[in-house]
Amino acid sequence: MDALQTNQLTKTYGKKTVVNSVDLHIPRGAIFGFLGKNGAGKSTFINMVTGLIKPSSGSFKVLGHSENRLESIQKEVGVLPDYSTFYDDLTAFSHLNYFQKLLKQSLSKQDILRVLSQVGLEEAMHIKVKNYSFGMKKKLGIAQSIIHQPKLLFLDEPTSGVDANAVLNIHSLIKEIAAQGTTIFLTSHNLYEVEKLCDEIAIMNHGSIQTQGTMEQLRAQYQQNIVIHIHHRTLSEKEQIRLQTSFTGLTVKIQIGETVSEITVPSKELIPQVNKLFVGQDIDVFRLEVEEPSLEEIFLNLE
Amino acid sequence: MFTVGLREFRSLFTSIRSILIIAVLFGVTVGAARLVRQFEAPLQELGLGQDAYVMGLMLLLILAAPLFVTSLSHSIVNKEIDTRTIRFLATKTSRSNIILGKFIGSFLFWSVCITVALLLIIPFSKSFSVLNLIQAIIFVSYFIGLTLFLSTIISKPSLSMFLGIIISIALPVLGLWSTGTDNLFIKTLGYVTPYFYYMQEENDHYYTYFVAFFPILFIVLSLFIFRKRDL
Repeated sequence: MDALQTNQLTKTYGKKTVVNSVDLHIPRGAIFGFLGKNGAGKSTFINMVTGLIKPSSGSFKVLGHSENRLESIQKEVGVLPDYSTFYDDLTAFSHLNYFQKLLKQSLSKQDILRVLSQVGLEEAMHIKVKNYSFGMKKKLGIAQSIIHQPKLLFLDEPTSGVDANAVLNIHSLIKEIAAQGTTIFLTSHNLYEVEKLCDEIAIMNHGSIQTQGTMEQLRAQYQQNIVIHIHHRTLSEKEQIRLQTSFTGLTVKIQIGETVSEITVPSKELIPQVNKLFVGQDIDVFRLEVEEPSLEEIFLNLE
Repeated sequence: MFTVGLREFRSLFTSIRSILIIAVLFGVTVGAARLVRQFEAPLQELGLGQDAYVMGLMLLLILAAPLFVTSLSHSIVNKEIDTRTIRFLATKTSRSNIILGKFIGSFLFWSVCITVALLLIIPFSKSFSVLNLIQAIIFVSYFIGLTLFLSTIISKPSLSMFLGIIISIALPVLGLWSTGTDNLFIKTLGYVTPYFYYMQEENDHYYTYFVAFFPILFIVLSLFIFRKRDL
């Protein structure tokens, strides 16, 4: 059973289609990255599957529960909305206490303290939220989403607007939560973050899923050329010219240097041949680096 | 539902505005009772008896309850939507629980305030009228329901406050006017205000219980709209 399964999920506002017939299957236990530019429809998608907005058409199942079993979904799902504000008059502790009661949990004070210390708010737990920094509010947002130990956690831009230190803390927290078996659905603008954390990625553009797969699958799908950097012994001018001509027909681009050469080949299978050509001409190769396309390049290729 | 209600109840007690309203409510009640005490004999002759002590409170409620309720609860639902705290609630409990909880919290707050105000009159009246208490609570619950409904259908708190104030002034005027006019339109409009039912003959006080139907209607309408709404 998938953690999330959507079938032709669509949301329209008037004539504008914000989410367009999205079919998505998210396996249990994965950290699933959901990428897209501003206005791509990521938050609308999350808001639909968490019951905040009604789909215009299509259906979805969360942890096997259909959309009309919202109360069952709420018990097993945690949500960090994209923009989190809290009650100014409450402290972090009273927020979590209030939210756990809404979820009909009967957590002890110790349980709440454990969650607060998990997100690093234990020292500020009795301070009213109006005095919190943006980063602290994000942490409280995460704390409220995991208070009931959900099986599926939606994190909508968990690190946006947060300083570098807090980003690292949130990243380790996400890994920690995932290690406990929680499926995580993470949306982000930060490609590096998604690449670093996620097992599987979907890219949304203009309301539709443009591509989905693991990083390797996306690379294989969108990778056009492979750039190889070869660090070798110092080559004479004569050797450089000879080497340059021996690659004819094999490479897309070739740039032989004195100690480092850059060879661009059309497929991964040609990498051993490139190495053989160097070794065959009695050139010692010290290091061979294969430059793979980053998620950013794949993302830009989809434009 | 009760968790939302309890939170609403507590937050109403802690705001400055509510403290001021409680002070006015209690101050006017005790002040009116003291005033009535000075004219006890003539009022007894008029047949008002012990009810005269409660009249101060009832008069205050009839004229100012709409404004009191509006000023405290005009943003009971839409503030949560405006600040997006609703997203924390709606992902943890059902929408029906939110609406019913909001009503219960506000209803409890006013019930406690009116009960305390009536208790404060006891030293003067030497009696406690449960009937008056129920009637006063039903009267106020009309406005709690109306405010909840307005706050559900209007998304901006500033607009619901503006409209709430207009209605708070218009309803008593319209309601009281409808009881003494032959204008069919005004008379018909009067049926949807609680004033028509509260201005019936003394013996027909069962009319006032009919007013309890209105908050139920407002809650049902609010639930219907809120369930369909994108948050």
